[in-house]
Amino acid sequence: MIRMLNIILFCTTLAALVGVYGLKYDVEDIASEKTALERKIDRQTGELSLLKADWSYLNQPAHVGPIVARHQEALALLPTSQEQFGRMDNLPMRPAAPDTAALDALLNSLDAGIDPIEQLIEAN
Amino acid sequence: MAILSVGAETISLDGGRKSRGNLTKARIRWVIAILAIVFAVVMGRLIQLGSVVTDSTIEGRERDVITATRPAILDRNGLELAVDIRVPSMFAEPRRIIDVDEATEAILTVLPTLNRDWLRKRLTGEKGFVWIKREMTPAQRDRIFALGIPGLDFVTESKRFYPSGKEASHIMGAVNIDNQGIAGIEKHMDNEDVALLQSLGLARGNELAPVDLSIDLRVQHIMYEQLLDSMTRYQAVASAAAMVDIRTGEIISMVSLPDFDPNNPSSAFEPVNGKKDQRFNRITSGIFELGSTFKTITIAGALDSGLVKMTDTFDARFGIRFGRFTIDDFHGKHRVLSLPEVYKYSSNIGTIRIMQQWGKDNFRDFLTKLGMDKRMPFELPEMRDPVVPTKWPEIVAATASFGHGLSVSPLHQLMAYAAFVNDGCLLPPTLYKRSEAQSKPLCTTIISPKTSAQIRYLMRLNALEGSGTRMNKAAAGYRAGGKTGTAEKVVNGAYSSGLNLNVFTSAFPLDNPRYALIVLVDEPKRENEQSGVTAGWNAGEVTGRIIARAAPLLGVGPDFSEMVDASIVPVELR
Repeated sequence: MIRMLNIILFCTTLAALVGVYGLKYDVEDIASEKTALERKIDRQTGELSLLKADWSYLNQPAHVGPIVARHQEALALLPTSQEQFGRMDNLPMRPAAPDTAALDALLNSLDAGIDPIEQLIEAN
Repeated sequence: MAILSVGAETISLDGGRKSRGNLTKARIRWVIAILAIVFAVVMGRLIQLGSVVTDSTIEGRERDVITATRPAILDRNGLELAVDIRVPSMFAEPRRIIDVDEATEAILTVLPTLNRDWLRKRLTGEKGFVWIKREMTPAQRDRIFALGIPGLDFVTESKRFYPSGKEASHIMGAVNIDNQGIAGIEKHMDNEDVALLQSLGLARGNELAPVDLSIDLRVQHIMYEQLLDSMTRYQAVASAAAMVDIRTGEIISMVSLPDFDPNNPSSAFEPVNGKKDQRFNRITSGIFELGSTFKTITIAGALDSGLVKMTDTFDARFGIRFGRFTIDDFHGKHRVLSLPEVYKYSSNIGTIRIMQQWGKDNFRDFLTKLGMDKRMPFELPEMRDPVVPTKWPEIVAATASFGHGLSVSPLHQLMAYAAFVNDGCLLPPTLYKRSEAQSKPLCTTIISPKTSAQIRYLMRLNALEGSGTRMNKAAAGYRAGGKTGTAEKVVNGAYSSGLNLNVFTSAFPLDNPRYALIVLVDEPKRENEQSGVTAGWNAGEVTGRIIARAAPLLGVGPDFSEMVDASIVPVELR
């Protein structure tokens, strides 16, 4: 009975030992992975900040302006003058569309030889 | 033998094994007790260690301050004006350097600008940490690594980079090597929150929210380009300009030339044409006698008091005498002038009569109401107190009415004009974004809306018929108007007739004003044989060009109909 207990306890101890050390190495692995990832993130954040700064520098009006001026012949970009602006309310309304059906009837009647002026005089 | 006798007590003796067994049991109990105590101690220590919170900051405060980050500064549309970039900084551990000479020579191949003797002295010794060069490029770092010298290492620092370069230099200011602001809005930000965060160690590595400024980078660029052009076109000594949104008091752009490169803060101390201390912000920390542009202020106050009316006339036939001095008009009409004519022809005599009809003490009180006795409340730390005399005899009041004998900063005058055209609400200027709703409570009423309408008419009249016609030609369609000022500069205690400070303060579009501008050109010369040197020819033209390019970006459309100008004329003059 005691011997059985001893054996069981001994095996449990062995298992616990293996387990604890295994856990410890696992945790160490994960910790080192985490540190490696953090360092990678740091490095990439640093590179990103440099790239963002480069991008914003290239987009500055002071940088783009001289480029446009240098390639003036090819681009032909000029500042917009006041006369080039318009407003929607300055556009004239569409003129009334011609009444094509009445015009057609008139022309057909003229072709047929009916004189519209004579008809008007007769009507009066 | 009577050993075993009847009735005698039994003597029991333990055998050898048993007595050894008893002793062993006792010893076992002792061992167990001691082991239990040992394990209890170990357990207790484990629990104690388990409850300790580890300190995750790097050793010492020094590292925190070095890598402190600052928030990005954006303009009102989200374009970056200042960003942090991570750059490597090189340090050496002299106790690990094996051969100092070899290390020195190798480093000098990559960084030839370092002083050889200084570098050698740095690398010798037993110290553990010395800076060699801070804020290098990643390319330089890779080349140093390729050298393979032991004892050199890098630490990543945050460096402040200004993509806009010189364009917003006076606004941005600069930072020192430890990322602490030393000028401009950077210094202002430090005085507020960032310094507190950095001292608490919370700013390191944290994403600080970007700061939105009211500056519009496109308008800033336009203004900068035009002022640079004016420096060469008119061979001016200095130029400055600022634009404010009159409804909110936000500064849309502010330029002052000559300026410096914020990416290289020591350039702020370089002399200009042999003269030192020229690279200051002339809009906020320069005080000048602004000349005839001050007449708007005199007339606005006079009209608002009710003691002077738009229909009044003033005798400008003769110069006015004050003791020994006579004040006369420059190219004067020398006849009786109506108030609009006084403004249009910029008559000094007329303005003095207006001021006298109003009352010189009323005038002085009006200047106090406009905040011209003290600094403008503004975020930039570089401000100057204006010089407005408190003793106010007649002669001082008379010269002050047309802008001489008192010195204010251009920012004072810009905010006064902004208040005149926005129905009388004087706002404190700001570099941060601020909505109209937030600005309304900060109003100080200085004139009535009726007076404001009259001033708008006068400014537009000056653009159509007075000295602002050159400005109006360039800015046609944007209904801009303003006042010129050709102020003689004081040289060695006397007014010099050859050197002028030309100012043009304007606002647009005057039928529904939104922005006010001030442009200064210092000591301009003729552009060509046909042009003049008065303010309309230089400051006015620059204003016109700036408005012509910036107005569409700000959402102001051109309108050429005559009804617009007719609607600005006040009722009493129609």
